[in-house]
Amino acid sequence: MDGTQLSRRGFLGMGLAAGVITLTACGSDSDDKGSSSGNATAASLVMTVWGGENDKTTYQKRIDLLVKKFPELKVTLQLIPSDGYAQKVQTMIAGGKGPDIMQVAESVNVYSSKNQIQPLDELASKAGLDLEKRFGSIGKLYSYQDKVYAIPDRSGAMIVFYNKALFEAKGIKPPTADWTWDDALSAFKELTVPGKQWGYAGSGWWAQWWSFVYQNGGKIIDDSGRPAVATDEVIEALQWSGDLIFKHGVVPTQKQYADMGADVGGDQAFANGKVAVNTTGFWGISGLTKSAIDWDIAPLWRGKEQAVTAFGSGLAISRTAKNPEAALKAIDFLTSPEAQQQIIATGQDVPANIEVQKSDAFLKPAWMTKPVNMNVFGESSDFVYRAPFIPTWNEMQKAFEDGLADFWLGKQDARTALTAIQKRLESIVKPG
Amino acid sequence: MSRLRRREAMWFYLFASPWIIGFVVFLLGPMVASIYFSLTDWDSFTPPKFVGLENYTRLLTEDPVFWKALWNTFYYAAISVPLGLGIGLWLANLLNKQVRVRKVFRTLIYLPTLVPLVATAMIFKMVLAPSGPLNDVLGVAGIPGPSWLLEAIWVKPALVLLSVWGAGGATVLLLAAMKGIPRELYEAAEVDGAGSVRQFWSITVPQLTPIIFFNLIMGLIGAFQVFSQVYILTKGGPNNASQMMVPMLFDEAFSFYHMGYASALSWLLFAVILVFTLLAFRTARRWVFYETEVN
Repeated sequence: MDGTQLSRRGFLGMGLAAGVITLTACGSDSDDKGSSSGNATAASLVMTVWGGENDKTTYQKRIDLLVKKFPELKVTLQLIPSDGYAQKVQTMIAGGKGPDIMQVAESVNVYSSKNQIQPLDELASKAGLDLEKRFGSIGKLYSYQDKVYAIPDRSGAMIVFYNKALFEAKGIKPPTADWTWDDALSAFKELTVPGKQWGYAGSGWWAQWWSFVYQNGGKIIDDSGRPAVATDEVIEALQWSGDLIFKHGVVPTQKQYADMGADVGGDQAFANGKVAVNTTGFWGISGLTKSAIDWDIAPLWRGKEQAVTAFGSGLAISRTAKNPEAALKAIDFLTSPEAQQQIIATGQDVPANIEVQKSDAFLKPAWMTKPVNMNVFGESSDFVYRAPFIPTWNEMQKAFEDGLADFWLGKQDARTALTAIQKRLESIVKPG
Repeated sequence: MSRLRRREAMWFYLFASPWIIGFVVFLLGPMVASIYFSLTDWDSFTPPKFVGLENYTRLLTEDPVFWKALWNTFYYAAISVPLGLGIGLWLANLLNKQVRVRKVFRTLIYLPTLVPLVATAMIFKMVLAPSGPLNDVLGVAGIPGPSWLLEAIWVKPALVLLSVWGAGGATVLLLAAMKGIPRELYEAAEVDGAGSVRQFWSITVPQLTPIIFFNLIMGLIGAFQVFSQVYILTKGGPNNASQMMVPMLFDEAFSFYHMGYASALSWLLFAVILVFTLLAFRTARRWVFYETEVN
């Protein structure tokens, strides 16, 4: 009558099966040679990008323009949700069916250092594409060992969002690129109402506090390729970021953020009027077009020098691309003014093409509901620092995330935290 | 062998073949391959480089995160499994009583297991906020609640709390088994003068041991493989205080491109689960009661 008895072997089988479930996550067959897909037609390209609905629309619009102009090119767009992009592309390449054109960003050199994407210098010069003329100082941003591996596509500096109404109420002038750390701090102090409103959203994200590091003359990775985070310049910049929270109380603590709701960060807190200043990328704008607060943007303030992080992405050609010339031709067109205008027309991002950045289409986008000082992006691009896109980028980020956990809780000072991180980075970052 | 038997055998293999093929191609193949990869340095792009046992020695002797993740996983399994079982047993016992709107209660207790984990985790983020509902309740009792997900010592208990939320799954199985216990046993015990507590420990629990055992084994395996909760709620933070084996494996394989290292990690995890499952079976003879084995 008791049908629930389980045999020993049955149980072992279950254990085995369950163990295997974890293994399937990593034990893919290394079938590298079998890429005999029917991609024989010369100009049939697969392009992978990440993002959401608006990204999909924008890329598709650009591809439509491309195909209209070059009917012999056929481009299939594959949009992969941002969270799973790296894994998906990794699997595609490892399976021998990598995309022809792929979007890359900070982790570009994971691929270039392992020869998974092709150097583009020769292809570009053959096609007559002058990177520095088209993209300015960031033309060769995605380089590894002096070779270019991706063509810039989207690029915008981190900018300052400020709450105009709060600034006016306190009689504070809008932030400018000439503000010093002290100017910023005294404004934050005036704009803070303890427990209710904060002057600044904080700089806990690498893009934020690294900007201060470079403003202070520090470097995350020095010119010889070695980590250099335990230097006085870096320590001072990080300590300043931490002091904003714990010494001056002008930035919400992690506790205070957690109490604002699940996953509320600087962007949402700014949109709700809880913080008066926020530093983030272009995407902040689209999040604010529906917000009730009165806001504008400004370039980031300065330290000893001017420096700011830039966000963006480029387009690369993978090792498995059958027809690199056709792929480059496609990229050449996609980064031309005609196609790049779509990036701003849909409000997706800042186009990397400087001609478009200076055009009216960018400075006064049709969808903008209020006048916003879009000049800020052009102004900021003069002092973007070159972030270290090392092959072990993800591990480096994890080392910072782990090593700074106690620092951002106010339980450790910057020197102790960074000294420990430096040690860990020395085993992760190999100069090359 | 008669023709009939042979034909029967043929049909057997035909019908079983999807599973046999599936097992060999999608489980056994990758498993064997991963043994090899665990002995290599492999980034998943370039050809693997054979390094012998280096991945294992590095994991066991050099990697502080591995020991932290292993300890966290033990901590999580050691508390969440017995706790889940205890609560499941208690709830099943309550639901087995003749109370009004019993069916409504049953539905309510099983409901959490049906809610997608991502949604549950998001709600828990709010519940566990420093000034969230849970800490409000603790505050009424005069206990100052911690910042659950932000503090290294409280983040694991927070994950355990989330696992208890799903105790309804075990409850349903235990309840079904309780219904199957013959009434006569209780009647006989009552005649002998056994009270309800005595009946529970001397009849209900022994009769339920096969189901408890089943839940224990499945719970152990599930706890050692905990992934989504960690991934959604904490990503292993702060400073790896909630890093577990599978999320660590995932990071190594798909974020840091150390496929060989991750394969070695998965085999160590397999060994750990195997040892605990075997241990459970060894002790099972002493406390699991199968009626069919009574002579």
